[in-house]
Amino acid sequence: MRVFICGFGTVGQGFAEVVARRQKYFLDKFGQNVTIVGVMDSKSYAVDPNGMDPLDLVSRKQSTRRVGDESYTVSTEVLDKVDYDVLVEVSPTDVKTGGVGLINIRHALSNGKDVITVNKGPLALKFRELIDLAKANRCKFRFEGSVGGAMPIINLCRESLAGEDIKSIRGIFNGTCNFILSKMDKGQPFEQALKEAQQMGYAETDPTNDIEGYDSACKVVILANSIFGRDVTFDDVQITGITSITEEAIALAASRNMVIRLIGEVSETKLEVSPRLIPKGHPLSISGTLNTAQILTDLAGPVTVSGRGAGRLETASAVLSDLIAIMDERKREA
Amino acid sequence: MIVNAELYVKDLPGQLVGSLEPISLVDGNIMGVVHNREQIVNHRICINVTFEVDDSAQLEKLKEIWKSKDMIISRMGSVYQTYTMEYMLIGEFDANYLEGLINEASEMITMDSMDMRYSSKTTTSSKRTGMIAVKTRSEEDLDRMDRFLSEKCKQSNITYVRGV
Repeated sequence: MRVFICGFGTVGQGFAEVVARRQKYFLDKFGQNVTIVGVMDSKSYAVDPNGMDPLDLVSRKQSTRRVGDESYTVSTEVLDKVDYDVLVEVSPTDVKTGGVGLINIRHALSNGKDVITVNKGPLALKFRELIDLAKANRCKFRFEGSVGGAMPIINLCRESLAGEDIKSIRGIFNGTCNFILSKMDKGQPFEQALKEAQQMGYAETDPTNDIEGYDSACKVVILANSIFGRDVTFDDVQITGITSITEEAIALAASRNMVIRLIGEVSETKLEVSPRLIPKGHPLSISGTLNTAQILTDLAGPVTVSGRGAGRLETASAVLSDLIAIMDERKREA
Repeated sequence: MIVNAELYVKDLPGQLVGSLEPISLVDGNIMGVVHNREQIVNHRICINVTFEVDDSAQLEKLKEIWKSKDMIISRMGSVYQTYTMEYMLIGEFDANYLEGLINEASEMITMDSMDMRYSSKTTTSSKRTGMIAVKTRSEEDLDRMDRFLSEKCKQSNITYVRGV
């Protein structure tokens, strides 16, 4: 199985590490290795049809800040330099235009390649187009890691809960906001909690995407389209962030034994991200950086999952599960 | 549906359990039982039971079972169910605004009870926080309340936070 990795930041490097760790598993289960035949970061690339050592790629990136010796300007030209089976698109997300991720995914699908991505921008903006493109070209297109990182939700709903009538999904889909609100529960003002989140690496220097609810909104769109079969985009989501949540509001909620959490909600009719009052002890009242989701089904009732929403190996594990699912499908079809 | 029933059963051992078992048989949920040993009519004692069933079909099935066991249903009244929701408003408003909002809502929505509290202005912020807890007799009323508050808050640039 030949893999091309686009984006060699935290998730890309994590995935390369995971590939190195799981070679015996691939060989035992599928009788073949997974080889990385191409990789590119924002400036450079490396390709080798015979495959490259994943750990060498990681150490090269960490020591030189470049994954390859060659530079490029047009990413799709790099994709054409080597033959591959699966594109793993994990470049930085751009929720306004879809960015280079959208271009790469379109290019790969148009050329009949299977695609795995955790890139929320292209999915939130052009979901239907990409699904149709994948269908038209008989490609597999998976994106488990795009919502909730290591927390299994998309494949859980589509595969393990197949046959259920899913009424709604409500969840905490942004660990940064949850960290800030959890700190505010303990009396820390918003600004200080945000600063601490930035110092601990949970929040970006520009935290707008997280605290204004845009990141959660992207995930809500992905769930609406992939689980509920809706055809919605980022602009359809009713979004309220957490910037106007005051210490007083947190204290007043606490006086009624409740906490405030940023909740994404999706159903046949709802598409919303907003701060909500959650009773203490409710599955959605969790603290810290965890993500959690409550899936309301007609037969099984409420099903709750939680897990780490971000992180090097955590998100890579979701990409790995997609890769294994694709290898399984290919094996069945062979 | 929550139902309160008054039954008269023979004053014999096992009759109390015998009157409650059918509720479980129809998948009902017993919420309260009062055994009125002093209220005896024709050698029968009175049992008051409050229970929850999904629908009237279940209730009819239960009534049939009681009758077949020679238990007399002397009274059966439906007890309404209440739905509770909390709403929080954060922004620049005063107590009059909040009270006006509640008055306007109560003209459109039937509320069983309403509890309102709000913070005073502080030196660090001109924002106030208001919290409204509402009990209604239907989920539709809660939906109406949600739509009303959401719209009003949007118009007044107030952050609106509701329960789940």
